[in-house]
Amino acid sequence: MNRRGKALALSLAAFRLLFSALLCAQETIGVAMPTQSTQRWIQDGANMKRLLEERGYGVDLQYAEDDINAQVTQIENMITKGDSVLVIASIDGESLTDVLEKAHAAGVPVIAYDRLIRNSPYVSYYATFDNFKVGVLQGGYIVRKLDLENKPGPFNIELFGGSPDDNNAGFFFRGAMSRLEPYLKSGKLVVRSKQVDFATIAILRWDGTVAQKRMDDILSSAYTDARIDAVLSPYDGISIGILSSLKSAGYGTVKKPLPIVTGQDAELPSVKSILVGEQTQTVFKDTRILARRAADMVDSLLSGKPALINDTKTYDNGRKIVPSYLCDPVNVDIANYKAVLLDSGYYTEAQLGR
Amino acid sequence: MGTIGRLFKNNVRQYGMVIALCFILALFQVLTRGIMFKPMNITNLVLQNSYILILAIGMLLCVVTGNIDLSVGSVAAFVGAVSAVMMVDWGMPVFLAVALSLVIGAVVGSFHGFFIAFARMPAIIVTLAGMLIFRGLTMVILKGQTKAPFEKSFQVMAAGYLPWTELRADGLNVIALAAGLAVSAILAIAILRSRRTKARHRFEMIPLWLDLLRILLIVAAINFLAYEFASFDGLPIILVILTALILLYTFITRRTIAGRHVYALGGNEKAARLSGVKTERVMFWVYVNMGILSALAGLIVAGRLNAATPKAGTGFELDAIAACFIGGASAAGGIGTVIGTIVGGFVMAVLNNGMSILGVSVDWQQSIKGLVLLLAVWFDVYTKTRPRSR
Repeated sequence: MNRRGKALALSLAAFRLLFSALLCAQETIGVAMPTQSTQRWIQDGANMKRLLEERGYGVDLQYAEDDINAQVTQIENMITKGDSVLVIASIDGESLTDVLEKAHAAGVPVIAYDRLIRNSPYVSYYATFDNFKVGVLQGGYIVRKLDLENKPGPFNIELFGGSPDDNNAGFFFRGAMSRLEPYLKSGKLVVRSKQVDFATIAILRWDGTVAQKRMDDILSSAYTDARIDAVLSPYDGISIGILSSLKSAGYGTVKKPLPIVTGQDAELPSVKSILVGEQTQTVFKDTRILARRAADMVDSLLSGKPALINDTKTYDNGRKIVPSYLCDPVNVDIANYKAVLLDSGYYTEAQLGR
Repeated sequence: MGTIGRLFKNNVRQYGMVIALCFILALFQVLTRGIMFKPMNITNLVLQNSYILILAIGMLLCVVTGNIDLSVGSVAAFVGAVSAVMMVDWGMPVFLAVALSLVIGAVVGSFHGFFIAFARMPAIIVTLAGMLIFRGLTMVILKGQTKAPFEKSFQVMAAGYLPWTELRADGLNVIALAAGLAVSAILAIAILRSRRTKARHRFEMIPLWLDLLRILLIVAAINFLAYEFASFDGLPIILVILTALILLYTFITRRTIAGRHVYALGGNEKAARLSGVKTERVMFWVYVNMGILSALAGLIVAGRLNAATPKAGTGFELDAIAACFIGGASAAGGIGTVIGTIVGGFVMAVLNNGMSILGVSVDWQQSIKGLVLLLAVWFDVYTKTRPRSR
């Protein structure tokens, strides 16, 4: 190396030292979120930022607008900036293996938030909801409301599943089936369309209009001379589509009441639908609790103490079983919506239009 | 003023962008409090933008003919998906799969080229069709899901470094430093030799001191970069590929008959044809070339994500086209250089990277990049239409 190069190198080194000293004043946590186009992720991001700032961290919150390359770039830049811990809600759980290797090389631990990051040994923790239990709540609700224990039946039911490319959709379905299967076997529950296989009942991209079309087809082919008593729906958006189909087929009158329709996420349109007696149930996942658990994991990673986890065997990402904290989902229907959604401050009376 | 003033005026566009790039780099260096020039960040800058730059080189040739290619992002995703099927599902050896993927790119390119050159359809329509066709086929092949992971040896192309990273002196990678010195020596000799040629043919020359200053700046910049890479993990393999492509295409566009034919075609198609240029064939090969480079970009994107995804490559075509125009290419055709395009690409890259470090979200980044494109082309039009004082 020539002399000019060396002088340059020296002055650069000094320069860098000065700035790294300035930057290390506060631990910064990188939070990578998928998109600002969905209400839910905006809330998640805001919750994480507030909680982490309350605990004295700097927060570097970035949204990638569902662009996988943009998310990878953002994470790389977080590593470059020297963020101490990364909290990542992935857009595509399969496409972060390489960038997680970089995080590992730079000594930055990673927490997977809500969506599991797959095929990487460098995921320290996973904070999510108990997705199997979401299904259990939906299936169990149908069992209880139809009183399958005591009534002779048979009752007609139709099944809907989530998007096939979402790791969580399978958990929801298996959870629900764990409750419904015994009654399907004994014949107390009947699926007249005969469509029970996950691949056939799955709704791509959780699209409500696709669900509406599928329900239309089922009603016109299998229910011309019978009534449907329950519909297993994995998500509120799908439930709304199903309800529109049912209503246009004449359900929702005294003689022909709407069947039990489940749901998930307690989205505003569905909560309103529950209040007017259309959708029957939804599963509420309080993202504020999820954010708190993720913040706890950040704390423990930085202090070197083991984090609070409650599951060490369910979430295998292909390279390791990721220690997880599964937050509890909650059943919501017309009987308890006040206590769960209003008293907790998640929604206000005004939002529900009351 | 005299020679220097005239020189500056004639090249204001090219120097303008280089100066703008330096200004943006300096601005972000201050705003990000020194993160911009961290060795790790400079390395990231190359890794994050390599595929856009590769696409931009191919796109430049399309732009020089007076057209654009809207399909490159979809073709990149398509080739990535096909390569994933070959490597992940069928277990095909990496070398063979890469070679086949490039062939597929060429076939796709000749598909577009046929309709544009021989069927005489407008390129924008043919490539718009290609954009839809190949995005659809990508989803068909992947069934809407992500295919992963690839073999380690495939990832190396996009995310790896030259071997001998441990060969270090004073903690600096020797290979990177040596490469920096070698490249600067070659460029210095090239500049001095072109001076000699000009002198022999009695061309007007810029003063010797100005050329020496140019060499000094170039050598300083290259060695600074080499130093940056040397103090991180060494030279990224993709940088070597990219440098080779830049040199190759600079040579093709400036020195070969085929390259000059592209400019002749773009400048005035009728005149070119009357002078014996086989315009259809030139046009056809420009799009075949674009197909191959799209395939290469697709492989790099797949390797970098270590996954083939149905949404890969959306919007790449627009970034590549923007790089060409920011780098001084003319929408009317016939004008544009490889180096200019690379500078244009890096202007966008540094903007992306700097704003991302500052935590500017993707939505705002898009708007700002749009404004930069508008300003750059406006500047171009302004400097061209302003009457020159003689």
